[in-house]
Amino acid sequence: MATMTPAGDYRSTYREDMTIFPTRGSRIALWVGLALLCLAPLVLDRYLLHLLINIGFLGIAALGLNILVGFTGQISIGHAAFFGFGAFASAWAHEALHIPVALAIPLAGLATALIGLVFGAPAARLKGLYLAIATLAAQFILEDFFARARWFTGGVAGRVTEPFSLFGFAFDTDETYFYVVLAFVVVMFAGAANLMRTRDGRALVAVRDHYLSAEMMGINLAYYRTLSFGIASFYAGIGGALYAHYLLFVSVEAFNILFSIQFLGMVIIGGLGTIKGSLMGAAFMVLLPEVVQSLADMLAGGAVDRALKLGASISYLREMAIGAAIILFLIFEPDGLAHRWQQIKAYWKLYPYSH
Amino acid sequence: MTMTTKRRVLGLAATAAVAAAFALPAAAQPIPVGHLMDNSGATSDVGVPYGQGVADALTWVNQARNGINGRRLNVLGFDYGYQAPRAVSQYQAWVNRERVVAIQGWGTADTEALVRFVTRDRIPYISGSYSAALTDAAGKSGRQGVEAAPFNFFYGPSYSDALRAMLQWAKQDWERRGQQGRPRYVHMGANHPYPNSPKEAGEALARELGFEVLPAIQFALTPGDYTAQCLTLKNQGANYAYLGNTAGSNISVLRACHTAGVQVQFLGNVWGMDENAMKAAGAAANGVVFPVRTAVVWGQDAPGMQTVRQISRISDPQGQAYRPVHYLAGVCSAMLMVEAMETAAQNGGQITGPRIRDGFYARQNWVPRGFEGVCAPVTFTAEDHRGTMRVALYRAVVTGDTSQGSVAELMSNGTMRIEPVTTIELERRRDWLGW
Amino acid sequence: MELGFLLQLLLNGLIVGALYGVVAMSFVLIYKASQVVNFAQGEFLLVGAWVCWWLLTAWQLPFWLGFLVTLAFMTLFGILLQVVVLRPLIGEPVISVIMVTIGLSIFFQALMKWMFGVFAQPFPPVFAVERVRVLGLEVQSVYLFSLAISVAIMLGFWWFFTYSKHGLAMRATAFDQQVAASLGVSVPRVFAMSWAISAVVSAVAGVVVGVVNGVSSALSFYGIKVFPAVILGGLDSIVGAVLGGLIVGVLENLAQWLDAEWLNWGNMYQVAPFYAMILILLIKPYGLFGTETIERV
Repeated sequence: MATMTPAGDYRSTYREDMTIFPTRGSRIALWVGLALLCLAPLVLDRYLLHLLINIGFLGIAALGLNILVGFTGQISIGHAAFFGFGAFASAWAHEALHIPVALAIPLAGLATALIGLVFGAPAARLKGLYLAIATLAAQFILEDFFARARWFTGGVAGRVTEPFSLFGFAFDTDETYFYVVLAFVVVMFAGAANLMRTRDGRALVAVRDHYLSAEMMGINLAYYRTLSFGIASFYAGIGGALYAHYLLFVSVEAFNILFSIQFLGMVIIGGLGTIKGSLMGAAFMVLLPEVVQSLADMLAGGAVDRALKLGASISYLREMAIGAAIILFLIFEPDGLAHRWQQIKAYWKLYPYSH
Repeated sequence: MTMTTKRRVLGLAATAAVAAAFALPAAAQPIPVGHLMDNSGATSDVGVPYGQGVADALTWVNQARNGINGRRLNVLGFDYGYQAPRAVSQYQAWVNRERVVAIQGWGTADTEALVRFVTRDRIPYISGSYSAALTDAAGKSGRQGVEAAPFNFFYGPSYSDALRAMLQWAKQDWERRGQQGRPRYVHMGANHPYPNSPKEAGEALARELGFEVLPAIQFALTPGDYTAQCLTLKNQGANYAYLGNTAGSNISVLRACHTAGVQVQFLGNVWGMDENAMKAAGAAANGVVFPVRTAVVWGQDAPGMQTVRQISRISDPQGQAYRPVHYLAGVCSAMLMVEAMETAAQNGGQITGPRIRDGFYARQNWVPRGFEGVCAPVTFTAEDHRGTMRVALYRAVVTGDTSQGSVAELMSNGTMRIEPVTTIELERRRDWLGW
Repeated sequence: MELGFLLQLLLNGLIVGALYGVVAMSFVLIYKASQVVNFAQGEFLLVGAWVCWWLLTAWQLPFWLGFLVTLAFMTLFGILLQVVVLRPLIGEPVISVIMVTIGLSIFFQALMKWMFGVFAQPFPPVFAVERVRVLGLEVQSVYLFSLAISVAIMLGFWWFFTYSKHGLAMRATAFDQQVAASLGVSVPRVFAMSWAISAVVSAVAGVVVGVVNGVSSALSFYGIKVFPAVILGGLDSIVGAVLGGLIVGVLENLAQWLDAEWLNWGNMYQVAPFYAMILILLIKPYGLFGTETIERV
């Protein structure tokens, strides 16, 4: 394994082509990064930890959506509903079946995957726009179900959940829960990176790139489209369950259409069809409102504040910023943050001879 | 959980001790207070004036009274858009990071979700939700699903009690008008904890009083086209209909029913009708009966109005703004918390959650100092957080076109009026506690 | 009473459905001409209605003048959106274009709330409100007015696409862009024109709803109700869109009737169209009247 990426394509075996870490440097960078993250709770304050935890579980769910949208080319405008299903399933499994939280989270992921398969099977027949509209309908129908199914969700009043605990130790502070989320992030992202190297992963990409050619090469379209829904829902379910045991409260209100759209925004802003892009997109979507808020705080009390009534309308500004960010990214950076990151790396690698 | 609670309490105590040891002039330490608002969500129509009232009153306490016993309030505002999960998330931030000692809250869904948390963390929580489930302070009602809520307070009659009073009025009204047969009552509102809160209590009392109770009608918390619901209402032949939502969506119903020619006496809840809503609904709002929590409305005079006008100038230096009923309620509920804090701080006491809670029990028929004739008297006890059983009912009267002119003009020239109807003193029944 | 109730609900369904039909029509217009699925269709209603309301109340313009200024504004608005936001995206994948329109929808919803508040605002009385009896039912004149406007718009569309030069150019572009371009049709101009017309027509619907129910954020929900309508009617058929709109309007009110008479579940009014839509897509993946695309490699 080389320490630097060579200037040409010298890969001569499939094994080399499929490696996750092209250079030793990238592998070292990952381990160092992980080690630094493990130290984070000792250094960072709770506010930053809170943001990192949010980025973690949203990133897991966004990765699921990216597998569906970015790798398989299917559209879903109902991802938040699956995220919510995972959250409710985990809370319910713990409360009604007395399954420990540490076990309820993966179980919730599996249950959500099942639901995803149920919705995915008919969706495999639909394409593009019709699929988008069908998932939109699924979003509204699932929301209505959550509000009705009191035995499962606690109805419109929601459900209080218990913190994650392992061997009698409760992970109920930002500092401790951070490690739980970090562990899940590592496992889920490593899983996705490896999935994409397998036959199944490549089949998904083939379905996206040209489904007719893929079918001619012997790939079962219906199977892989349904499978992709299942995987996406599994990731959404895990993300949702982590959310439920972090917030300690789940309610149907959170899983609305705007949240679904935010997931799509994460995937597009991060970069369709990239694994690390999902995390970048989640980070962007979590940090954007915070930046808007602090901008408004900076202007607070000034003339601009009085003229625009910033204090009272910060929520609208936040929503407008989300809408505008999605539009601007698609116009000016359609390949997402992951692509921009590659370009920045390439620029510095060749500096000062970039042209 | 007990372990961590103990650890947290120990931590708090340690911090407090350290703070007391180092900061000898306690004046330097501001008191962190959370203020949860809905400025952008489904109930922002009434959340904005209420939140403004709370914010102005707390700022005024800092400016005019130099805070609590010389310590200024550090008010941390947050607009949660009426989404309970965001409120819970913000609550955890306030408790863990800012160490607030009390919170001015808002909606029913979030307040009820937080009951267990504020009880655990011992943080007095003064909500904009008047859900009766929050009044069972000691958990003695034995009702299913009602937890002890020793740290939850609100200013005014509970939703259930307000509805009970309106039903008693409706019964009198029916007899006074010499109508034959049983009056028909219907509950209307969204499928949401807030409109649902008084549903069963209201229907039970309606049956007790001899009403025929019709199947409830649902409409969302957001404005919309509710013609179909009004046609249903008309078909049912209801005589009295309770509007469980806030003003914004109630207006849509009132207008649609006005257009569809529905003849029914609407009963609004405390958040269901106000001056802004009267202007927006126009003639459709005429005749709606609703409870008002303060003894006066803006433009009327009382000894305490002098203070309220000063408070209003905090966010309106010209003194031009018309303040709807919710603004006054916000001021009163903020001042209750302030006086409870002052009680806690007396004789050099620490301002902590449990001491503030005890401050709420210190007085009977309690009217905050300087707000006489504005805030209605309230009494809290360690077992019963029903502050008042007196419900003042008013009627919205609209006599002309409301589309031109400001609320202040329309109110002063009499195009819109809020007329007192009656005041109902409910019996403090034990079986109504927490319900 | 029972039958009267059902009839009234059906009539209400037809009136609302006609408005859905109008909005669905303008949605299909954009889709046919520029292959863009517009998730921001509801915001056209919202922006149009608020602008008109603002002109009428803040500037005290008479209704006809305020209405005309609104239409002029919406023409510009539609063209600007197409040129500034959507033109750079020609050739991008479907999902990107969908996301941009969703972004527009979020942006304008928040902007309108910021500028005009969250209260439903009434229009100044446009005409003396009085009731009319139709087939033994009492109907408000505003409803008849709204029905009349819907029918007028539909007739206008029919004339435009059958007889006018621009309408024919649009049909040609929808049929085959390259051939149309080679015959001298300016494709970019057709794109811009389709957005302008769609915005104007939606704004008319928005103002009509505003006059009847008051202007509020609820208007943007019409943009979502459009989807069941176009799935029922087929994405590429203007006549189908009108039919689909009518069906959805009636379906909603039938659901309310069932709910009120027997089920007492609540909320059926809101979700019933989506159940219907899923059912149809399960049976016919291209909608009821949509054309199945046959792909050749």
